[in-house]
Amino acid sequence: MNGNGHKMQVKNLSMYYEDFKALEDISLDFPSRRITALIGPSGCGKSTLVRCLNRMNDLIEGSRTEGEITLDGQNINGPGYDVISLRRRVGMVFQRPNPFPKSIYENVAYGPRLAGTKDKEKLDFIVEDSLKKAALWDEVKKILRESGQKLSGGQQQRLCIARVMAVKPEVILFDEPCSAIDPISTQKIEDLMAELKKNYTMVIVTHNMQQAARVSDYTAFMLVQEQGEPGRIIEFDDTNTIFTNPSDKRTENYITGRFG
Amino acid sequence: MDARKRDRIATIVFWGIGLVTLGILAFIIIEIFGRGLITALSPSFFSGKPEAKQVGGGIGPMIVSSLYLAALSMLIALPVSIGAAIHMAEYAREGRFNNFIRFCLDSLATLPSIVFGIFGLTLFVITFRWSYCLLAGAFTLALLNLPILLRGAEESIKLVPQTYREASMSLGASRWTTIKRVVLPSAMPGIITGTVLPVGRIMGESAVVIFTTGLFIRTIPLSPFDPAAPLAGYIWYAQTEATVLDYRKIVNGGAAILLILVFLINFAARRFARFYAKRKQLEVKF
Amino acid sequence: MARERYIKLLLVACASLSFLAILLIFIFIFKESMPAITKAGFGNLFLSTQWNPDQGHYGMLAFLNGTILTTLGGLIIGAPLGIGTAIFLDQMAPKKMGTLIRRGVELLAGIPSVVIGWFGLTILVPFVARLTNSSGYGIAAASIVLAVMVLPTITALTTETLRSLPPELREASLAMGATRWQSIRSVLLPAAREGILVAVILGMGRAMGETMAVQMVIGNSRQLTFSLTKGTGTLTSRMVTDMGEATGVFRSALFAQALVLLVLAMLLIIVIRVVTRKRKA
Repeated sequence: MNGNGHKMQVKNLSMYYEDFKALEDISLDFPSRRITALIGPSGCGKSTLVRCLNRMNDLIEGSRTEGEITLDGQNINGPGYDVISLRRRVGMVFQRPNPFPKSIYENVAYGPRLAGTKDKEKLDFIVEDSLKKAALWDEVKKILRESGQKLSGGQQQRLCIARVMAVKPEVILFDEPCSAIDPISTQKIEDLMAELKKNYTMVIVTHNMQQAARVSDYTAFMLVQEQGEPGRIIEFDDTNTIFTNPSDKRTENYITGRFG
Repeated sequence: MDARKRDRIATIVFWGIGLVTLGILAFIIIEIFGRGLITALSPSFFSGKPEAKQVGGGIGPMIVSSLYLAALSMLIALPVSIGAAIHMAEYAREGRFNNFIRFCLDSLATLPSIVFGIFGLTLFVITFRWSYCLLAGAFTLALLNLPILLRGAEESIKLVPQTYREASMSLGASRWTTIKRVVLPSAMPGIITGTVLPVGRIMGESAVVIFTTGLFIRTIPLSPFDPAAPLAGYIWYAQTEATVLDYRKIVNGGAAILLILVFLINFAARRFARFYAKRKQLEVKF
Repeated sequence: MARERYIKLLLVACASLSFLAILLIFIFIFKESMPAITKAGFGNLFLSTQWNPDQGHYGMLAFLNGTILTTLGGLIIGAPLGIGTAIFLDQMAPKKMGTLIRRGVELLAGIPSVVIGWFGLTILVPFVARLTNSSGYGIAAASIVLAVMVLPTITALTTETLRSLPPELREASLAMGATRWQSIRSVLLPAAREGILVAVILGMGRAMGETMAVQMVIGNSRQLTFSLTKGTGTLTSRMVTDMGEATGVFRSALFAQALVLLVLAMLLIIVIRVVTRKRKA
């Protein structure tokens, strides 16, 4: 149970789709109870990397990885590692809000039901608690039986966050969570993330640099040299340093908007 | 001729086509009902027993047979086709084997029903020694409908957005749990409406039942192994053999009743699909 | 997880069952038609127009001709109507009317073929008879009947195709000042071409395999004819008429006809595959 203060660590990770190398030799640490942002131009592999963290890439045929990813010191790519429990401990919020075509209540209750919770009172409690944690409770407490898909984009995204909360993860991955949402909801979600930091380790992929600067403690900058090349980490440091005094010229160019 | 004029002409032509189609439909329905509705609605007809030599026979047992047959056949066909569809859409995806199955299914779909009828006769009635009975017809009709049902189910399953599957699996659900709790419920309304056509086909299929369930059976079938004469087969029989003097009346009435039944089933399936969809969203307990 | 594996097995069983069933039918048809091919001979079966089972003549050409002509006839009437209706529904039908027609077409699809056949027999045939001063039976009547049966299929599939087209396509055209007809003709139809082709081909398949309705209005004679109003036969109608009493080689010859239909069906499907694969490239 040791990652020396790092909840998750990536060690020399390379990832392939069939013959195509998508990521090369990624090494990165995700400190506990901190927010780490992944930034970089489109197609640099940020989403791919983050999807390795909860092994969602396994769903794609022909994908394989080399190298280690550890959660609390244990290699999640190791043989026999329980993927199902991994995904409960490492939750994910997707780019486009994707609540199930079920009621708000059932959306949040989905995870706990999977784990075997059947007791109605218990479920009621978990649903309320999760929705509160996602700062959505007040808005939906009267309409829990209505379809989750009737909510606005920002609300749906918060519903998805609540849904993840309900399984009591330790790490939450955000894959460009605000790119499909209006600015006001984005603000709400960013505030939410600042709150959540107290109890969860978070990784956020974003193409919005200001967001990364606002929200994260650490930032990693990724890049693909040329078309067809794999994504690599160019620089990783605490956010302040990255944005005010980057070491690598390419980082600086990206930050200042010279490309991407 | 300038573009606006052409547009106007085109509009007229398309309106014409639309009206012609509507007209054809209306004409057929009005004719059938016009000639047969009164007979169809008289209780002595739709609940009476058929006569072999005299006039005044009814088609009560035939209606029961048709409905019984439809239920039985669907009971056989649905689980198998949904199971196969899940396998092909979720687990096996694009494989040469799958493609081959689809090719065979598509080809099968255009085979004349009489071939199925003879097949059913040879396999179930004779080889399996079931002799003429509902079950033989049910299995044969299940075979007949397999292509449509499977395709419909597969399409409905494929229509479920991939992102739901991802969300479910990212919460720690296994593949099957995801299918059971997210994909299938989502695909159900589509699958249900996809049963309307097959059920209609079963009700209307005469070529198959003639060879498998029996031809002139006057009794109401009780067990699946009883012989029966479903309505469509009886209509064909009545008008081909014409053993009674009022056979025209019987055929007209029978056609009208068949139409009503098909309408009702259509309506019911649609309603049920809508009800099911609503229920899913207001779901309290899964 | 053991349960997961058990379920997977069950599903594979379902798929295999389906496959097995299909295979059985194919084998069945082949097996049953073999005696005719071996005993009566290829030429006698497939190249002759003499159908005289009592004397050992099993030529099916007359019926093949009937099938082809009635199918074509049905398509010539049914396809434009079906495609036109779909376009009408998609582009210009007012909401209520559109729903009415849509429901109506679905209902039409559900009308049993005996009923359509009955309808053809009691109304269509006398009508044609009066019009052309003939018996009324024949290719003309059968074509109309087939058109009615094929209409729902073509309409439904075309509607689906049109619906799957991106709306931006239409908007882009109209935004440039094109009239509705111009948009339909130059943008919509070309984009939907493949789907429409599939719809028509599937309609063709349906028409080829239609049994009862055709049997009631085609006249069931053995002669080869190209006339619209002389009684003739199709492969399916022949099967229905004779299958009841046929035995031995006679019966097998009827199965050979089924075989021909099966082969034609497979050809149609292959054509569809080729057409749709080209688009994916």
